[in-house]
Amino acid sequence: DIDDVGHKYYLELELEDVLDKDRTVKCTAEVLYHLGSKASAPDVQLTVQGELRSTEEADKEFYNRIRSLEKELVAENIPDSHGNVPPALEPIHLLAWVASGYVTWQNSTENTKFHLAQVKHVKQVKRSDEDLQFDYVLLLHEMVSQEVLPWEVTVLWHPQRGARVSQCQGPGAGN
Amino acid sequence: HQVLRIVPQSDEELQKVQELQGLEHLQLDFWLGPRGLGLPVDIHVPFPSLQAVKAHLEAAGVSYSIMIEDVQALLDEEQMEMLRSTRQLPLNTNTFNYEAYHTINEIYNFMDMLVAENPNLVSKLEIGRSTENRPLYVLKFSTGGTNRPAIWIDTGIHSREWVTQASGVWFAKKIVQDHANNEGVASILETMDIFLEIVTNPDGFAFTQTTNRLWRKTRSKHSGSICVGVDPNRNWDAGFGEAGASSSPCSETYHGPYANSEPEVKSIVDFVKSHGNIKAFVSIHSYSQLLLYPYGYTYTAVPDQQELHEVSAKAVAALSSLYGTQYKYGSIITTIYRASGGTIDWTYNQGIKYSFTFELRDTGRYGFLLPAKQIIPTAEETWLALKVIMEHTRDNLY
Repeated sequence: DIDDVGHKYYLELELEDVLDKDRTVKCTAEVLYHLGSKASAPDVQLTVQGELRSTEEADKEFYNRIRSLEKELVAENIPDSHGNVPPALEPIHLLAWVASGYVTWQNSTENTKFHLAQVKHVKQVKRSDEDLQFDYVLLLHEMVSQEVLPWEVTVLWHPQRGARVSQCQGPGAGN
Repeated sequence: HQVLRIVPQSDEELQKVQELQGLEHLQLDFWLGPRGLGLPVDIHVPFPSLQAVKAHLEAAGVSYSIMIEDVQALLDEEQMEMLRSTRQLPLNTNTFNYEAYHTINEIYNFMDMLVAENPNLVSKLEIGRSTENRPLYVLKFSTGGTNRPAIWIDTGIHSREWVTQASGVWFAKKIVQDHANNEGVASILETMDIFLEIVTNPDGFAFTQTTNRLWRKTRSKHSGSICVGVDPNRNWDAGFGEAGASSSPCSETYHGPYANSEPEVKSIVDFVKSHGNIKAFVSIHSYSQLLLYPYGYTYTAVPDQQELHEVSAKAVAALSSLYGTQYKYGSIITTIYRASGGTIDWTYNQGIKYSFTFELRDTGRYGFLLPAKQIIPTAEETWLALKVIMEHTRDNLY
């Protein structure tokens, strides 16, 4: 408890690579939830102790594949009702996860627990610069309220520059 | 295909939008359902229905905007899957595909086949009807006797938790197999009956297949609200309406106008009371990988807390032994969150000591959309935990 400021948590985490189950990496983090209902995102500081696996080749392959599509990629319901994700859409799914991490961070309090329930819709938008752009509608499930709500998120991605959320809008009112 | 956004500004407009929900032949997919005035409603409209929908709205003067134009219809894996499965119904429960998700009709057909194949062990009871008048079926597994002490298991009370109904189907077959091979639960069936309700919320389940895969509640309409459905796991008479449920009809945890307002809940209440000899009650949900015992509505520990905790530890160890799946366990309120009006809080207060709730796989990677290939592993490991609970009940009858 930090008087007049909020609650600070010190965490020791172990990250597991979803695509390489035997691979783990230790991290430490400090999370500060601010007092009051002003709805501001918690402050997060993260230190990764160790190295993350290089994904350079897969990144390049994905980048080139999308750039060479004649028609912009469009997809919906990832995974589908039966939990299936077509292999070609797996990177789109993973990128959605990153985007949902951003939404989760921006909307987290000490009483929320978010998970990405489904990518309802994704549309690629061709750009004149080198970034890939994907406009997502993400369904986020919040555990305590059990609500599943849509979030419109625009994600830019580049092999070297990584992922950035450029726009984010919640259900109903803007964000 | 297009996605239309409507922001209803009046009760008339709200009504017009709601009317659309009832027109099943239009095959509309509500990404964001009607919740109230000034709140957006997003509808995915397939191409053949576009004209009809726009005409319906324009005739009523309801304005809409096109949120997404020309949604390219990717070959919907799931539609193809369902189509393929309506070709031929399986001939018997040995050719039934346990590795896939099924429709209500396929599950009801499975139940009838199971009864027909095992008339001396299995019978089907109708304990009531849902809001939309679907039958509420319970399978009874019994080797005889009169009103023997019994175990109750239900799956699918929250319709979007598809791995649970699928596991229920597997459990039904497993019970029959164990009995035939005189192993596993065969010994339990010598002195006890097992009741299994597989599709506990059929209206919700149907809705997840036709309109909204992530629908949780029942499909009841209570006067005074445009929102549909009550959370069947907040509708029981245990701490009803207290903290841990919502009084808003539009909420996913809406407790309903009064306890047992939902026929899906009332029918179980009536069954349990009139049976009078149920000794263990297990209600199955997903996801989170948890084994929970009462209470959810209060921090007060149940008198049997220690014993329930020990049984949980044993059950979870058995579950993990198969595939290494990690579960946590404890009382609802200390392990997951405060929840009032919950099933097992009521059953415990009725005197059913061994009242448990499971939250099955996974922990959020796929969540409600668990891949079908995980159905059988999930059912297999869960069954080991269920057996621990059933055996403990049999050995500690009260």
